[in-house]
Amino acid sequence: MTLPPRLRREHLAVPVALLFGLGSLAPIVVLAVLSVFRVDDFDLVPAVSARTWIELAGTPIYAVLIGKALLSGAATAVSTALMGYPIALALRRLPPSLKGPALVVLLTPLYTGEVVRIYAWRVTLGAEGLVNSALQALGLTQSPLTFLLFSPFTTGLVLAYNNAPFMILSLWVAAETVEPRLIEAARDLGARPLDAFFRIVFPLTLPGLAAGVFTVFTLAAGEMLTPSLLGGTSGATAMALIENLFGTAFDWPMASALALALLAALFAVAAAGAALVLLSRSARAVLWRAP
Amino acid sequence: MARAVRRSDTITLGTAAAVLYLPLLVLVVFSFNASPLMAFPLTGFSLRWYAALAGNAAFLHGLLTSLLVAQPVGFLAMVVGLAAALALTAPRLPWRIAFLALVLLPFLVPKSVLAIAQAMLLSLIGWDRGAVTLILAQALVAAPFATVLVAAMLLRFDHRLTEAARDLGATPWKSFRFVMLPHLKGALGGAYSVGVILSLADLTIATFLSGRTQPLSLIVASEFRRELRPDINAMQVVVLVLTALVIGTGQLGRLLRRRRLFPVPLTDQAVALRAGFEETSGRPSKAARC
Repeated sequence: MTLPPRLRREHLAVPVALLFGLGSLAPIVVLAVLSVFRVDDFDLVPAVSARTWIELAGTPIYAVLIGKALLSGAATAVSTALMGYPIALALRRLPPSLKGPALVVLLTPLYTGEVVRIYAWRVTLGAEGLVNSALQALGLTQSPLTFLLFSPFTTGLVLAYNNAPFMILSLWVAAETVEPRLIEAARDLGARPLDAFFRIVFPLTLPGLAAGVFTVFTLAAGEMLTPSLLGGTSGATAMALIENLFGTAFDWPMASALALALLAALFAVAAAGAALVLLSRSARAVLWRAP
Repeated sequence: MARAVRRSDTITLGTAAAVLYLPLLVLVVFSFNASPLMAFPLTGFSLRWYAALAGNAAFLHGLLTSLLVAQPVGFLAMVVGLAAALALTAPRLPWRIAFLALVLLPFLVPKSVLAIAQAMLLSLIGWDRGAVTLILAQALVAAPFATVLVAAMLLRFDHRLTEAARDLGATPWKSFRFVMLPHLKGALGGAYSVGVILSLADLTIATFLSGRTQPLSLIVASEFRRELRPDINAMQVVVLVLTALVIGTGQLGRLLRRRRLFPVPLTDQAVALRAGFEETSGRPSKAARC
């Protein structure tokens, strides 16, 4: 009698993959299928038609909106990286007993609701909000600064705020693996702190930077609520248009095509960016060194 | 031995924390401000906006809905996260990178795109949108976070412990249940909390997949698109406090566990050996549960 093959841990991958496939891969396949359907009198007709893709390629506004999403993702990735490095390095130097609490303090705002954050920024940045009141009380400005709310500035600021924790986390994990003696040696040999950073810490944390950039870029570029609720008239995004085509206009094929194009552009740019970083000599040295 | 914290590091981290908490602080301050206008200077301390909430049926109903939805989301995220993490860290998993990419997909695809695509799929197969679809979709988005949490703990787990238990006669299930699982308790609690927190925080998924179910975030969003009202401040503070409670409980649990787990070095190994020994001697094992 042969025994049935023993179940092992790796067999759990099958049901899990099935679940994730149904939940996230199948909907993306549906997007691809629907993008070639037609709509007749608010009815989806399963007929193959290239209308949406021709329209997508021929109308500049779609390309502009997708470009805008990529740009906002890139800007957020850069600004969070600039903020993230000093914070990650400071976290690395903390005594071990303080690391846990510091991390909880820095990551907690990540857990507050999307609505809470957007609402709180409206109250903070409005004409009579905290920032304007403080500036006027100090005599720095005469009238409220109007660009603070409902402008591209607001969108940029809040996107950076929302995504900074992801960048800080991946930079910090990478910074923890940097051997402190390397930095000490560099300093002992006469490197100034900035030299030590650019020649030791930065190259050694490139994999973490790549992970952070990849994450923040895709998250920020795909965000819809922040630009539409805080960006004012500048808040037109590819995502908002997709929502409109899906909900109000009931043009699901067009919504699907645009969503797919956005996804493809996002992943292509993010993967290219991450690959560029990871293929650099120092990143390869970090990733493929003997364990 | 604690090293002194550098002054520059204190300033960096202090500034970061201040900026992160600034908007939340403003929210809390105005929720206790007497004036219905949200402007400085403040006009005096008042609890009237919180009193108003107690009589607001839409708010209470939304809050209850949100809390009821968040629990199964937490549970599902925990179970799926555990299964995914066990598979991901299994020594002999083929196609590991592809599996990892699949598990991280719900995190990397923009939530709004994913939610719209899921809504289309549901409509094609004729499944009504409602509480169930909302819970499933939120759990799917929380699962990558849960997986990473549990996998991080599994990577640190000393596999000699389960090997020892197996050598001493424990079945694979028993060595998992009584040796490995107790070590994962903290990570599993964290996974559950992450599910609850992400569910409470979510607006995007609810916008597209909640059907007639109205969680609090949807109610608040539709109110504040029109105007800023001080009782919405109070609502948001209630949500903040609830979230803080979830995080606080998790941290407290971790602290207590650490104190119990590591009073003497070698306890883990001793626990495992005792568990294995008791398996072979046929007595019910309680040892590893501590």
